[in-house]
Amino acid sequence: MIEVRELTKRFGHTAAVDQLSFDVLPGRVTGFLGPNGSGKSTTMRCMLALDRADAGTALFDGRPYSSMRRPLYEVGALLDAGYVHPGRSARNHLRAISASNGIATVRVDEVLAQVGLTEVAKRRVGAFSLGMRQRLGLAAVLLGDPHTVILDEPANGLDPEGIRWIRDVLVHLATQGKTVLVSSHLLSEMSQMADDLIVIGMGRLIETSSVADFVSKHARQWVRVRSPQIDVLAQQLRNEGATVTAVDAITVEVVGVPAATIGEMAARLGAVLHELAPLQGSLEDAYLEVTASAQEYRAQEYRAQVPVSDGGAA
Amino acid sequence: MNLLRSEWIKLRTVRVTLVLAIVAAAIPIVVVVLVASLGKHVEDVSGSDLTGLITGTMVVTALLFGVIGALNLTSEYSHGTIRTTFAAVPRRWHVLLVKGGVALAATLVSAIVILLTSLVIGRIILSSRDAHLTFSGDSKAGMVGIVIFCGLLSLFGFGLGLIIRNSAAAITSFVLWPLLLENIAGLVLSAAGVDDPQPWLPYQSGFKMILAEPEFGGSSRLHGGVYFGAVALALVFIGIVINERRDA
Repeated sequence: MIEVRELTKRFGHTAAVDQLSFDVLPGRVTGFLGPNGSGKSTTMRCMLALDRADAGTALFDGRPYSSMRRPLYEVGALLDAGYVHPGRSARNHLRAISASNGIATVRVDEVLAQVGLTEVAKRRVGAFSLGMRQRLGLAAVLLGDPHTVILDEPANGLDPEGIRWIRDVLVHLATQGKTVLVSSHLLSEMSQMADDLIVIGMGRLIETSSVADFVSKHARQWVRVRSPQIDVLAQQLRNEGATVTAVDAITVEVVGVPAATIGEMAARLGAVLHELAPLQGSLEDAYLEVTASAQEYRAQEYRAQVPVSDGGAA
Repeated sequence: MNLLRSEWIKLRTVRVTLVLAIVAAAIPIVVVVLVASLGKHVEDVSGSDLTGLITGTMVVTALLFGVIGALNLTSEYSHGTIRTTFAAVPRRWHVLLVKGGVALAATLVSAIVILLTSLVIGRIILSSRDAHLTFSGDSKAGMVGIVIFCGLLSLFGFGLGLIIRNSAAAITSFVLWPLLLENIAGLVLSAAGVDDPQPWLPYQSGFKMILAEPEFGGSSRLHGGVYFGAVALALVFIGIVINERRDA
């Protein structure tokens, strides 16, 4: 378990991390989300004692990272796949890391096989693609078979197969009871692998909850209704206080009334239903909603134009 | 012991280190072979001449070991691997001491091997050309001095690397130190009324260790070595303190 309490890190007058507190539970994959510049990487570096925190603590099973004699057996971290010497071979890179913690060299070959780099183990890392470096970074994480894993953007540069592979690895680690904290901008991936979320913005905690609770709380929910008698049904729904938006001649989207109520209403009115589908926004929708006010760098908005009229059912 | 092994693997698995070490070894050996083979009137050559030639050319070797000492650390910062290193061993001072110690030990062993190889090769060639070599006490002291000088320059480079943390800046500072900075410091000290500033200039003071007859300033070979060593250790100490406090 990871316990972060009141963690604060300033660069000059700017608080990159501002009194941040959260827990990461074992046996679950916890996603660490936030806009660019929100302090995710700085938080991770402070947790690992690489950056000196100005205040606060980060404890791994009750112990600060700096007190660990052989941390690779307890915490495996991948902060940046680029942290490799390009002139050193993949195997020698891992040998140097493993030797520092007294991990047997045979384990180096095991993790290289685990991440699929055995055939290029003696090749210099400078010739590796970003995806191969990510795999090498993950191999370093796995060296000591740690019970806590921290990964910063591990899917960067991976192809679809690699992304699926890393998702499977992380979920597998969590099912083994390990504590997994992972940051990523690939929200569709996060929604498939994370159990819990920690969302930060401008160095502060915005929300921490399960993925399901986060989405149901912040993502838009609506019901898609298709019926040849949509005009009658839409009018009745508006009378009940629902917001009705036309999609096409026989389809509307309804907000504010549950699907079951719409079905019962249609039955009373004798309206034939071709579709009655409760829908929910994605994790991405919920994330953008929550972090809208915490975006440090905002680009011009380009949104697809949908030809609908507000409340005007056809 | 684990950390020693890790740092040794790092030091010897980078191509630039190997290339610099090979060049550092080749320079005195090649010069000795050429001079001993092609020189005229070698029957008049003394042991002091041979050791003077070796220690003189090994100054370049010592400078290259200093560059290796600096790169040993700065390359970790330039490639970001220092974060992997400190994440694996959070006690930074421990890592940095071992890193410097491994570079120092490797330098001392390499310097001894290069010195003995040059000496043996030179002696074999010169003996085959009827030279009769005997070695004075000062010659032997000069040979010990160049080995220690190599080690101290390695530490000196490592210390600069610890403080500067950037490869180009650290190597530039390391090279400019004896060529420029100490000359400027000497002028400033002279202007300030110091009669003989050389004993106060670390590199020039340490350089006395390799001279067959250290004569200037009245200070001894031992004084020069101790002073240069103290400055190199001070740089390492300051560098470790800075690295303990800074973000990695």
